[in-house]
Amino acid sequence: MKKKAIMIVLLAAAALLLAGQALVVQVLRSNLMAKPDFLSSSLATLQKGARLELVKAEGGWYLVRNSAGVKGYVHQSAVTESKVTLGSIAPGPKGASEDELALAAKGFDETNEKKLRSGKGYNFADLGWVMEQEAAVAAVAQFIRDGRLK
Amino acid sequence: MKRLLPIVLLSALLLSGNPINLGKLAKVKKGAKLVAGAAHKINEEEEYYIGRAVAANILGQYPLLRDAGLTRYLNLVGRTLTLRSGRPELYGGYHFAVLDTPEVNAFSAPGGIVLLTRGIVAMAADEDELAAVMAHEIQHVVAKDPLKAIRSQRMKALGTFTAGEAVGSSGGALGILQDSVMDISGTLLQKGYSRSQEKDADLGALKLLAASGYDPKALLDMLKKVQAAEGKKKLKAFSAHPSAARRIDYVGESVAPADPANRLARDARFEKNAASR
Repeated sequence: MKKKAIMIVLLAAAALLLAGQALVVQVLRSNLMAKPDFLSSSLATLQKGARLELVKAEGGWYLVRNSAGVKGYVHQSAVTESKVTLGSIAPGPKGASEDELALAAKGFDETNEKKLRSGKGYNFADLGWVMEQEAAVAAVAQFIRDGRLK
Repeated sequence: MKRLLPIVLLSALLLSGNPINLGKLAKVKKGAKLVAGAAHKINEEEEYYIGRAVAANILGQYPLLRDAGLTRYLNLVGRTLTLRSGRPELYGGYHFAVLDTPEVNAFSAPGGIVLLTRGIVAMAADEDELAAVMAHEIQHVVAKDPLKAIRSQRMKALGTFTAGEAVGSSGGALGILQDSVMDISGTLLQKGYSRSQEKDADLGALKLLAASGYDPKALLDMLKKVQAAEGKKKLKAFSAHPSAARRIDYVGESVAPADPANRLARDARFEKNAASR
């Protein structure tokens, strides 16, 4: 009986911890989508470090609310669990600093890449051109429709 | 998850039927922390920067084909595939480009930079065959296979740094980054992945092709061409991959039939963007 009571208390505590969970965007850029589908319309762009309020999980997607109050879907691979509480979701002195939200790298980062640039055997000039080449979601959606793809 | 660790541990002890021993619980928790701190775990941002360095290293060895039309087309095919993959969103997004060499090969750097040679693009007869090669490389990114090429000792060494030291003037972390890049480049260009990693990438590619609407049989078609090219030394066809014959066996057993009419629907744009290059 005592064990059962402890278990109930523990489960309730776990539910409280998960409720009102905040998420933070862990990729450089993403989109808040109207539906849990990359080919649906984008409601807003999301930048790295943006904080989102989790409403519910749906398949591989999260239904979230951004700081402007817009509700939409973000893919789970674009976000990570935030260490900040919902109380600090609005920007302000009590919220986590940008540094805290930066998901800072420890060794493999821009600083060390700059040092590599001066070394032999690396072609960062051509890499820059490669990184500029990417397909916008709207163009991909058209490409999929035209090619009878899914 | 970390926040739930004490609850999970406590629940496990309760469910085990043993009386709660707080001393034991503290030891278990401490042990879990020590294991977690033993080696550095690479996050999404670090994967991105390692990938950039690996790609820059490959681009230091092969010339880039600066063909904006072909590269845009590859990025459309690639993004179509990645949207249905296990990792649709990466830190810096997926990027696809062509290396200006007749060699028949393809490489995927960590973080989603996929490089195909002009030789492999020319070998593809249609968009589905091109997509088959790209799906295989995307599956390596999804499985984080390039990162697994880094020797574990590097991550253990990096785990001993504090954040300040690692980006500071010691240069230790930079050395580890360079060594890690060499581990990955060596695997991509010479050593190759394990047979099981290659098999998983092939079988995952079949599923990815089907999920995207491409014909999975295109992978089999492409492997047969690679097999024919393996005899030609100049082409260095997938020199760091297992033999095509072995791959044809298990891909042939797993491939599901698709409507060939759909494949024809993509011929015109393939001709315009890739076949004519």
